[in-house]
Amino acid sequence: MNAALNIPYRMGAALLLIADQTGGIAIMAGQVVRRLVPPRIDRYELFRNAYRMGVQSVPIIAATAGFTGALMVIQGAPIVERYNARNIIGWSAMFTTFRELGPLLIALMFNGRVGANNTAELGTMVVTEQIDGLRALAIDPITYLVVPRYLSIAIMMTALVIIGDFVAILGAMGMAWGILDVWPRQFYYSAMPMLQTWDFSVGVIKGFFYGNMIALTSCYFGLSTRGGAPGVGRSVNASVVAAASGVFIVDYLSTFILH
Amino acid sequence: MTITFRNIHKAFGPKKVLQGVSFTVRDGECFFIVGASGVGKSVLIKHLVGLLRPDDGDIFLDDTEVSRLTEREFYEVRKKCAMVFQSSTLFDSMTCEQNVALPLRKHMGLTMKDALTEARERLSQVHMSHFATAYPAEIGDGMRKRVAIARALTLKPSYVLFDEPTTSLDPVSARRTDVMIRELCDQFGVTSIVVSHDLVSIFGIADRIAMLYQGNVRLLGTREDFKNTDDPVVRQFMSGEAEGPMQV
Ligand SMILES: Nc1ncnc2c1ncn2[C@@H]1O[C@H](COP(=O)(O)OP(=O)(O)OP(=O)(O)O)[C@@H](O)[C@H]1O
Ligand SMILES: [Mg+2]
Repeated sequence: MNAALNIPYRMGAALLLIADQTGGIAIMAGQVVRRLVPPRIDRYELFRNAYRMGVQSVPIIAATAGFTGALMVIQGAPIVERYNARNIIGWSAMFTTFRELGPLLIALMFNGRVGANNTAELGTMVVTEQIDGLRALAIDPITYLVVPRYLSIAIMMTALVIIGDFVAILGAMGMAWGILDVWPRQFYYSAMPMLQTWDFSVGVIKGFFYGNMIALTSCYFGLSTRGGAPGVGRSVNASVVAAASGVFIVDYLSTFILH
Repeated sequence: MTITFRNIHKAFGPKKVLQGVSFTVRDGECFFIVGASGVGKSVLIKHLVGLLRPDDGDIFLDDTEVSRLTEREFYEVRKKCAMVFQSSTLFDSMTCEQNVALPLRKHMGLTMKDALTEARERLSQVHMSHFATAYPAEIGDGMRKRVAIARALTLKPSYVLFDEPTTSLDPVSARRTDVMIRELCDQFGVTSIVVSHDLVSIFGIADRIAMLYQGNVRLLGTREDFKNTDDPVVRQFMSGEAEGPMQV
């Protein structure tokens, strides 16, 4: 094939692949929803996954959130100094962290830690025939494996955004105290009247959307793995990139809707 | 409780694996399938539990045609037709006893505690109770195979498919497995299909044997038929000669 035709051909192929994967993820979403009414959930799988995906992610998510809050203060510091506007530093740092950066960075971290792990685990189960083994025992892999993972990821991501928000406040307070001489008390009482509950809620709702994105994408790519260990590698790769792209798209759309 | 394959065809892309396989397994029979590596033995028995679908042909379990059932309808079939995979397929994230307890919990409605008690009982039948709390990665291939057998039998199936149950087992465990398979047929009336290369098992417990060769059944008969056959391909396979008419 000559070079001129090659470019549109490749773009077409890429588009078809994306359409195929988006469709696959949508079908998986439908399958999950159908099994949630009425809920048929394996409690042990749910708790096991919620623990290792959620509880064990708290340290890394807290670190991410703490640094995000602190960074926002560092970025705002020159302006605050110049206009001597110390009583807006709390608000400006928390506003952007709550609404945008906190959930986004937490989602990207969470995707790297939990999404990748989930895809790798399900992918390995496919290539070592454990999924077929499950089906042969008359146990539906979607009900038994995907539903608890979906719930764990979506709920834990939301919870981690809430936890992250509190840690971010601490990070920002510490940094404001350190470089701007704003006492935590002052920081708190200047920020709180200006922040609205909605600023906080927007971030939490976004976190829930991101959690859905990561959950469905990582399960889909895991279960559609083919071809041994290299196949698992490819799936993890594709899953992390697709979920991160999905998070950005959801972020963009939800920022318009939830203003 | 019979199993019938009628004219089964299956290809993976250009590679034709099964090309018109037909035979019937009788009620309560211990039926062996033999054949060279890659001939399609595992592929054939996976059709029975709906993990693969034939390109053409019918499969009857009792009198129901199963090959065109939906995945959901297949779950009922799988409860009475258990399968022990060649690769064991134990779940890595669970201990041996949790593996065996899983079908008990899911299908018999047992609580975790009761299911684990029952699972340990089942594991002792395959002489694996010492390893009940070990993870599959911590035990050998042969031991995993035995746990997989215990797990497959938890639901008291009427048909059992064994894919190379004695491969990688030591001779003692292999013979114990043979005895167990034979007992399933004789005492519980289970109809079983065993894929095996193990000549001791074959000539020890098989009621009838089918040899697959180049996508078809080459010979179907009793142990005596296989010992006395004139077919040079079957003779070469059974005696394990390197030289002969058999083509890979
Ligand atoms: N999912 C699949 N996709 C493509 N080809 C497959 C698939 N499964 C099996 N095959 C092919 O089908 C053929 C038969 O495989 P099968 O596993 O049934 O062999 P077998 O008779 O069980 O051999 P062994 O004694 O080594 O277990 C092989 O050549 C294999 O390459
Ligand atoms: Mg095989």
